[in-house]
Order: sequence, then structure tokens, then C-alpha cells
Amino acid sequence: MADYSFYLDFFVRDAHIWLQLEKLRPPKLLAPRKRKKRDRHARTRVGFFRYSYYDIAFKYFVEQVLDADYVALPEPTKLTLEMGTRNSNDFVCAPFKHILGDFIEALEAGADVLVQFAGPCRLGYYGELQESILRDMGYEFEMLNFATLTGKPLREYIAAGKKKVNPDLSVPHGMRHMLVVFKMIENLDEAYDYYLANAGFEVEPGSFDRALSTYHAAMRAAASDRDITEAHRQGMTSLKALPIDKPRNPVRVGIIGEYFTAVDPHSNLGVDRKLIDMGVELHRLVNMTNRNLRYNEKNLRAGISDYVSYDMGPTSSINIVAALRYANEGFDGIIHLKSSGCTPEIDCVPVLQRISRETKVPILFLSYDSQTSDTGLDTRLEAFYDMIARGKVYR
Amino acid sequence: MTDLFLGIDIGSISTKGVLIDENRTIVARTYLWTEGNPTEAARRVIDDLKSQIDHEQAVVRAVGTTGSARRLVGAMTNAAVVKNEITTHAVGTTFLHPNVRTIFEIGGQDSKIICVEGGIAVDYAMNTLCAAGTGAFLSSQAHRLGLEVEEFGEIALASKRPANIAARCTVFAESDLVHKIQVGYSREDIVAGLCKAVASNYLNNVGKGKKIVAPVVFQGGVSKNAGVIRAFEDELGMEILVDEDGHLMGAFGAALLASDTPVSKREVFDFDVADFDFKTREIECAKCANHCEIICVYKNDEIIDAWGNRCEKGEVKTKR
Repeated sequence: MADYSFYLDFFVRDAHIWLQLEKLRPPKLLAPRKRKKRDRHARTRVGFFRYSYYDIAFKYFVEQVLDADYVALPEPTKLTLEMGTRNSNDFVCAPFKHILGDFIEALEAGADVLVQFAGPCRLGYYGELQESILRDMGYEFEMLNFATLTGKPLREYIAAGKKKVNPDLSVPHGMRHMLVVFKMIENLDEAYDYYLANAGFEVEPGSFDRALSTYHAAMRAAASDRDITEAHRQGMTSLKALPIDKPRNPVRVGIIGEYFTAVDPHSNLGVDRKLIDMGVELHRLVNMTNRNLRYNEKNLRAGISDYVSYDMGPTSSINIVAALRYANEGFDGIIHLKSSGCTPEIDCVPVLQRISRETKVPILFLSYDSQTSDTGLDTRLEAFYDMIARGKVYR
Repeated sequence: MTDLFLGIDIGSISTKGVLIDENRTIVARTYLWTEGNPTEAARRVIDDLKSQIDHEQAVVRAVGTTGSARRLVGAMTNAAVVKNEITTHAVGTTFLHPNVRTIFEIGGQDSKIICVEGGIAVDYAMNTLCAAGTGAFLSSQAHRLGLEVEEFGEIALASKRPANIAARCTVFAESDLVHKIQVGYSREDIVAGLCKAVASNYLNNVGKGKKIVAPVVFQGGVSKNAGVIRAFEDELGMEILVDEDGHLMGAFGAALLASDTPVSKREVFDFDVADFDFKTREIECAKCANHCEIICVYKNDEIIDAWGNRCEKGEVKTKR
């Protein structure tokens, strides 16, 4: 073995000389700055639950408003709901189980922060309960629970965002982009409303689905107001350019119901798609635009004062307004979707039944829980369609 | 040579079959237990119907299937019409009773109400999530009492003062029933109480919010139970019509719908289909975490139909 100690002596000597030279270097004119605050923090990864196509808006909210990383979730599977169900109380409403499953998947995908909404029903307690269940399961995370902030001034929201997600949150930047999020939600709902009303009459099978998913992909990639405007313009143009073969008097159905189940296709086993496949024109007033952004409960209730005196729950007024509107516009049927045990929507049922009796519009009531089967749903929807379609021919 | 149309209603408990002629009258009928094997039950129904007609004189032109195993038996018989039981009941009943306004149907596992106006179904409801107050409940309680469910009606009619049995839920009804037996209620009163529980459960759950207008037609297996009929009549204060063929109404409706198939689409039905070997196999699709259960139907080891997949990844290629 060669003897390297000779070289080592040289290295030691050189190092010594270097150290001495360092001392001779003139002092820096400016004191070295501390590292910037944002560089001292790793970017937070934020997870949302799945809610129809609104993940696009959630992603924009996380990336542009909170300036953090968004944990994108793949399509849910049976396993998602199974995990959610296994870890929740059996009697809790089905959305809780769906959301808990989503949260578990988000945490497994590496989320540091979970976001939960506030709501005027049991939803308001979801965040707290889910946080404690997930902690008991051994996950470590922060929870940005908007239910703890309801009714508090904006600065508390900003403080919570800074504390839980991003200490360097830029308020002016965030505010500007928050307005863009609202616009994005309105755009997404507008496109989906067009899809609901027309996809049942597509000439080329699957063309509407393809156009919608292209549109969603473009919206998902948007990073600015201008991107969104452009994606929306293009998406709407391509949707409206699709050939449709719509009869002059199509079967029209209005969908109403509880905020989560009526909107989220994974929770309602794809009712929209099933009805579209039967060739039905669909309308749904309940969406984030109408329920969150443009919601004026008092004004809505004024239109249904014959039926309702008080605000009965999160989506009660808007659903009764929608049912009455559909009935007066001569719709062939209304489908009411709720998770089983959703108390506010159960309270709506007698009112809806009265509307049904008075206006002669049939209403199909569907209750979902984590055990609801596809087959049972198909039977009921098929029978409902047969009934209203036959009624139309003879009327 | 007369043209016949076959309707088969494969329910959870019983399987019904009818043959109708061009004038839409029933020429052959059969009713037997499904015994948990819908293909076998359908085969027996077809065999039974085959023996009731003269093959020199008549030929079956189209088949309609309904009931919970409609798709399976539809694939097996190459049916022209595969319809849900709500539609077929409405179609069958409004044909026989053109002026009917309300249809009650209580079967083995499900119960429904159909409201009719001017011969057209305008509203319906079906039990959700719970099979309380259906035929299955009555037969399990009959078993507990050591009776045959067929005797129920007669025994119930003998009662002067039906016991009050909690009607909301099968589990509560059962514990209430045990209590009533143990404190010494007479058997007639208990059986009549059960019938009353079925009727009031039905009206409170399925019929809730629906306007029940006479004439009311009551059908399904439970309509054969005179005790339940009387309980309905007491509760509603109106006459309840029960057709002799009430239990066959789904199959009759399916046959009616089959008779509407255009001539070009009609295919002569071969009764020998019953001799083929039908098998079903359940495959769990492994292409994603959804693990869809795909049902494949084989006719003599040759796959003829498959369903249950939620996306195209699980599609099974069939010859048809």
C-alpha cells in the first residue's frame, strides 16, 4: 500500500496558508443578510376533499391565493369510501364518509394541511370531528377549518392562512386572486349547466364528455385571470359547436337536493350521467355559484313565502325555489337527492310534496348512504323516466 | 297459428311467468319460488309454460323480462324488452283496470306505490334502504309462530282485536311481537296485528305524502293475504281491489311491452332455451382500485353478456 502521508502534509500546510489569507481579506461593505423568510420554510402541501369538478377552483385557490402546493387526488375508488366508512360513525351523513376517505388519501399523498368548509348544518362540525378522527389514526397535519372562523373579520382568516399554510402570504396578491377563484367557479358552473341541458342529445356519443374534460384540463392548468378567460372562451366555443339533435319538446328534469349529494357525481352514483344517457335535459340550480357566490336567502325566500316562513337549512330555500320554478316552467319531473339522515333536507320533503300535489309535477326522492347500490338506483331512475316520458306522450 | 308473447318476472322470492295472445289475454300462467337461483327458476317457469300450450297452434314471438333478475334472464332468453318492475306493474295494471288511481304493490323484498291519472302513471315511490313491512318480514314471522305464511290471511280474519305491534322497523316489530306472545296474546290477534303492522308501515313509509285515491288495486305476493287487505281497508276506509292475477301483474306488463315490439324485431322464442346450460361467473376487475364486480353470463360455456363494470377498462367482449 502506498504511503500518502507525504501528500497529507502538503494539504495540511496549504489549508493553513488559506486560513491565514482569509484573515487578510478586507471586510465586506455590507453585512451578510439573513436568509429570506420564505426560503426558511418548506412550501406547505395543501389537500382538499373531492367535490365534483371544483377541485379545479380549489387548486387555483391553493396555488394562487395561499401560494402553496396543491395535493391533487386521483379519481376516487370504492376503497376511498370504504376507508371513510370504516373510520366514521355509521349514522353520520354519507358526505362525511366520502370526505374522510378523501382526507385519508390526501394525507397518504403527502398533504401537510387539510381544508374543511364551514356550513350551517352538521357540516359545521365536520372539520373538528374529522381532525380528531385523523389524529387518532396517527396522522400529523394542520387543519385549516373555516368553521372556526365563521363570522370573524377578514384579518382572522388571513392570520389563520398565515399560521397554518404560508407565513409569507401576500394579502394584496391573495385578495386579487380570490376574486379570480370566484370567477372561475362561475365559469365552471356555466359550462356544466350547458353540458347538463344538452349532453343528452349529443349526435356523436361521448363528444360532450370529451369536450368537458378538455375544458376542465385547460382550466386546471390556468394560472392567471387571463388563462381562465381564454380557457373558458375556448371551452364554451367547443361545447356549443358540438352537434346536438334535440327534439322541440324534450323530457326535462330538474335536480335539487342537498349541497354535497346533489352536486358530487361520486356521492350520487353519477345520476347526471345516467339521466343524460336516457336523453333528458337536466337543470340544477344548486351549485357553488348559486349557493355560495350569489346566495341571497332572504330574496329567495320571498319567492316562496306561500310555503316557507323561515330559513330551514343550508339548501332548503334554494331547493324549494328551484322546485317551484321547475314546476311552473312545465318540467316533466324533479329529482331530489340527499344523503340519508340529512335533517334539513328531510324537512324540505313535505314542502316539496305539497308543491308536487299542487302543480302535478312528479318528484322522485332518493336517499343515499355508503351502502346505496347502483342497481337499485338504476331501477328507480328508469321507472321515473318511463313514467314521465310516457306521461308526455299522452298529455 | 297464434302469436304469443312471454313475460317473466323474476323477483327475489318468487318467479312469475305469463303467456299472452294477440288479444292480450293471459293464456298460460305460472308462479313458483325463486329459491335463490334465478336462472333455474326461469328455466322451470319456461318449462311449465311450455307444457300449458299447444305447440302446433302457437308460437312465442317476443319475450319481456322484469324483476330484480331481469337482466340476467333477459340475456338468457334473448328478451326484446327488459324493463324495471315499476313500469311493468303500471302497464299491466292500467291495462286490466283502466280507471285505477292508485296501485299498491308489496313483494318479497320491496314495496311500491304508483299513482295513476287518466291511465298514466304520474307518480311513484319505492321503499328505500329497508325491507320492513314486505313479504319477507311476514314469512320470517310466520316461521317464528310455526305457521305457513299462506294461512296468515284466514287466521287474521278470525281476530276481533288485533294486537298493536310497533310497525316502524322489522327489528322493533320483532321484539314487540315476542313480547306480545310472551304476555299471552292469542295467536289470531298477533297475526292480525302483524298484518296491520305491514299495512300501516306501508302507508307511513312508502305511501307517505302520496294522495291515495280510490279505486285502489293491491298486488304483489302479499296481496294474497286477506289479513293485510282488511287492514288496508280499515285504515283507508275504501275498498281495495285484488285481482286474481294480481301477483302476475309484473310478468303481464312485461308481456304487454313485449307485444309492442315492432314486427321486424320479433324473434321466435325457442322453448328449448331451457335445455341450455346457463352459468354466471363473478369476476373482480383488477384494473383499478374500484374492483368492480363483473357478472359474466355463459350459455354452454360461451359468454353471451356481461355487466357490472363502471368504466371501459372492465368491458368484456361478447358475441352479441
